[in-house]
Amino acid sequence: MVSKWNYKSDLWIDWCPGCGNFGIHSALIKALEDLGLNPSKTVIVSGIGCSGKIAHFVNVNGVHTLHGRAIPFAMGIKIANPELEVIVHGGDGDLLGIGAGHFVALGRRNIDITVILHNNNVYGLTKGQASPTLPLGVKTKALYWPNIHERVNPVLLALASGYTFVARGYAMDTNHLRELIKKAIMHKGAAFIDVLQPCVTFNDIYTMEFYKKRIYKLEDDPNFDPIVRKDEETLPKYLKAVEKSLEWGDRIPIGIFYINENVSTFEERLSERSTGYKEIPPAKSIIEEGKPIIDQETFESMFKEFIVNVKKHQINK
Amino acid sequence: MSSVKEVGVILGGPQGSGLETSMNVLARALASRGYWLIADREYYSNITGRHSYIHMLVSSDKQPRSLRYPVEVIAAMDAETIFTHFLDISERGVLLYDTYVSSKTLSEVASMEEHVKSRIEKNIQRLGLEPDVKSILKHLSEDKHISAIGIDYSKVLKNLSEKYNINARFLSRYLSGLIVSAVALILGIEDESVKEAFQQYFKEKTIIAEQNFAIYEMLRKQLEEYIGLVKLDPPAPRHSKIMVASGNDVVAMGKIVAGVRYQSYYPITPAADESFLLEKHSDILSKYKQPIGSLIVLQTEDEISAITSAIGASLTGVRSSTSTSGPGFDLMIEGISWAGMNETPVVITYYQRGGPSTGQPTRGAQSDLFNAVFAGHGEFSRIVLSSGDHIEAFYDTIMSFNLAEKFQVPVIHLLDKFLANSLATMDIPSLKDVLVERGYISKGGTGYKRFSLNSLISPRAPLGSEETVMWYTGDEHDEYGHICEDPEIRVKMYSKRIEKDKIILESIPLDYKFTLYGGSDFEYLLLGWGSVKGVALDAVDKLREKGLKVSYLNIKLLWPFPTLEFRDIVKSIPEDRLIAVEHSYGVNIASLIRQTTGININKKISKYTGRPITLSELLISLDKIISKETNRVVFTYGE
Repeated sequence: MVSKWNYKSDLWIDWCPGCGNFGIHSALIKALEDLGLNPSKTVIVSGIGCSGKIAHFVNVNGVHTLHGRAIPFAMGIKIANPELEVIVHGGDGDLLGIGAGHFVALGRRNIDITVILHNNNVYGLTKGQASPTLPLGVKTKALYWPNIHERVNPVLLALASGYTFVARGYAMDTNHLRELIKKAIMHKGAAFIDVLQPCVTFNDIYTMEFYKKRIYKLEDDPNFDPIVRKDEETLPKYLKAVEKSLEWGDRIPIGIFYINENVSTFEERLSERSTGYKEIPPAKSIIEEGKPIIDQETFESMFKEFIVNVKKHQINK
Repeated sequence: MSSVKEVGVILGGPQGSGLETSMNVLARALASRGYWLIADREYYSNITGRHSYIHMLVSSDKQPRSLRYPVEVIAAMDAETIFTHFLDISERGVLLYDTYVSSKTLSEVASMEEHVKSRIEKNIQRLGLEPDVKSILKHLSEDKHISAIGIDYSKVLKNLSEKYNINARFLSRYLSGLIVSAVALILGIEDESVKEAFQQYFKEKTIIAEQNFAIYEMLRKQLEEYIGLVKLDPPAPRHSKIMVASGNDVVAMGKIVAGVRYQSYYPITPAADESFLLEKHSDILSKYKQPIGSLIVLQTEDEISAITSAIGASLTGVRSSTSTSGPGFDLMIEGISWAGMNETPVVITYYQRGGPSTGQPTRGAQSDLFNAVFAGHGEFSRIVLSSGDHIEAFYDTIMSFNLAEKFQVPVIHLLDKFLANSLATMDIPSLKDVLVERGYISKGGTGYKRFSLNSLISPRAPLGSEETVMWYTGDEHDEYGHICEDPEIRVKMYSKRIEKDKIILESIPLDYKFTLYGGSDFEYLLLGWGSVKGVALDAVDKLREKGLKVSYLNIKLLWPFPTLEFRDIVKSIPEDRLIAVEHSYGVNIASLIRQTTGININKKISKYTGRPITLSELLISLDKIISKETNRVVFTYGE
């Protein structure tokens, strides 16, 4: 299908030649083309670092936010206007270091947002410091000492946090990643894709050669089915996903670990406490210039618990 | 005993024993009788056990604006209240107490901090008394002619439990009603007003209201000889309906009237009650007859998420806000600087409490003026507004949203704990003059430039506008919102975001910059901002009665500071007749004025105990300053 929109922005892309971000960028563009998403109804929300610039390199709305805060910005946008398709891009330092609290909170809320983690194990833009996904004891060429922190497992953390779509992709396999991104966007609820991404400048350990030898696809295993179709499948499939997420070494799985659309989305939960939410979400509320939004009578009836009737003989006639 | 114009009341007891309920019910009973009142709530950062109290002033002829010591009536739930406040009862006043505590000694009061205990011990020694309730009661009745009226609380509650078959475990829940009933009887408030106050407060829990009123009926017999012992004058005529609400409440109401559609918050004292009330109305908005949409109130994982999600919501064109206190605001600063960089309207309701760090979580302060005005790296326009009382806070809340949208800036509405947690009577706000001003909203379209340099205020199109794409970034950017480090663009964009200050100052009407009270013929000018207004106005009235020409300047627009108008208003008197008052150590408004106007104010009145400045404190300090005895007075009264 040929999309009527051109998603490629004409800005010069200033990532290093050979950067894994190019693979993620082209997979994203292709996914947008395949889905034919309306650029004016699509928002890329990004954090800080090399990956953060992706918001400028795609011809849909872009909100390039603060370090670690792409998720809460995206949450405000999505909750206020649920009609928008919101995609978060952030690096491993961004989403799992400084922004880890928000990463966990989004999973708990299961808001219909897609989070794409550009996972290169280093802080690139500040010249290669260790990120939260770099294993303990590893010394990349930019580090003076070997890494003193243990790594966090993004897939396992996403599962623990409550994301209802959890996948891993590889930046250099753009066709595979494109399909993952499409599925994540179409997923109802919080979707997460951990994208393994070589950093050609600062990471001489997790290189293309490293991944090429180790990566295999979960979908090639006919016995592995990540989709929860019935409630009783939830626990076994979740446990299987957890087990798969722990595989890291000679063999590294990519593909979908877990999908569960039986969990209520945040939008559904909000509709229960604010029954008009689906019909008139905040962004569709009409707040007109000049006119009071509620009249005196409504105001007094809403806040009657604060209004006291003065006994008759005291009233100013 | 002849009746009086105003009565001061203290209700004291352990935190968690229902004093806030007592305050709310008693306030409603007094309001329905036609009286005006203000009630400050003083409490520890604690759930149960520490001493807390309500300090109230009730008037028969006008809205009280400040608190004073001593008070005519104290109702004590426990011995700690008697020890803590016995010096605060006026001669011939009334102390209501539990006969059970008559035998208590000071050393038995385990919940009292050692510092407080030793200070009270000294007072007791100074008066030649024994450190026990019995000795204090004797002193109060014999030396001060105070009616110390003992009630056997547990007996009253036991009778109640027999009548309604209430489990003894739950009886302490009725202590608040006992206190309300006893005070109402002393003040001679009619049965009907008390009954309705219980009913209104407990709403659908009609049985609870009935049981509480039964306490009142029991006490009416028991206290028959004391009914109306401290009688208020018949109230002056007033409107048929009045509002009784706290500062947190009126801000929440203001937000609903302003059309807030997204409010985020992380729980913090003394801001959380505002969001609690908004949350309660997040469904009611959809239930009311007008199709006015939904209000989302979201408890976020931290204050960073609170501000950044509110900014996100604002990008979609929604009126959004967050509400916090000092520690939370500190976490929001990077977000506020992003909003400044991206010309994004957002309202931050900032209730100050004692700092630094955790400071005094439940006590009041005005020590965050500089934090509100200067927080954030780089330079950008913002608006900082303060409110002097409940009614101002209501309208200023609405104004904050208008200003945020008109000028596409973050607006910080700077309030404090004194206002947030105090209850006051007020006329019901009139909505007919409330105006919504949304500023320049663009439809976007092909080639849309969110940060167009054609005008100082940029064309703002919401995310999601048809046929429109836009970019935002915290980096310096071009007109489309793409990162741009070109020095020429930098200069244009950077100065544009700062020079908005000029049109903000030109557009905001004078009465939203400051208001002069007391008359323009002043020889001395007291000035301040926020919740000192009430006590300042009372002091001005008292001094004017004595023939001293003092006025008060209530500064509302703290930033950008209205330099020209300020210079104009103070030009008639020399600098050494300007006196600043603030709940802070530095009385920082003086520094802000010096920075923005060159005018040097070196006469300062300060209090930073976390308790409100009382009328007598302010009068004493003004006297000392005007008589040139000193340039700086610091006050400390109040437990």
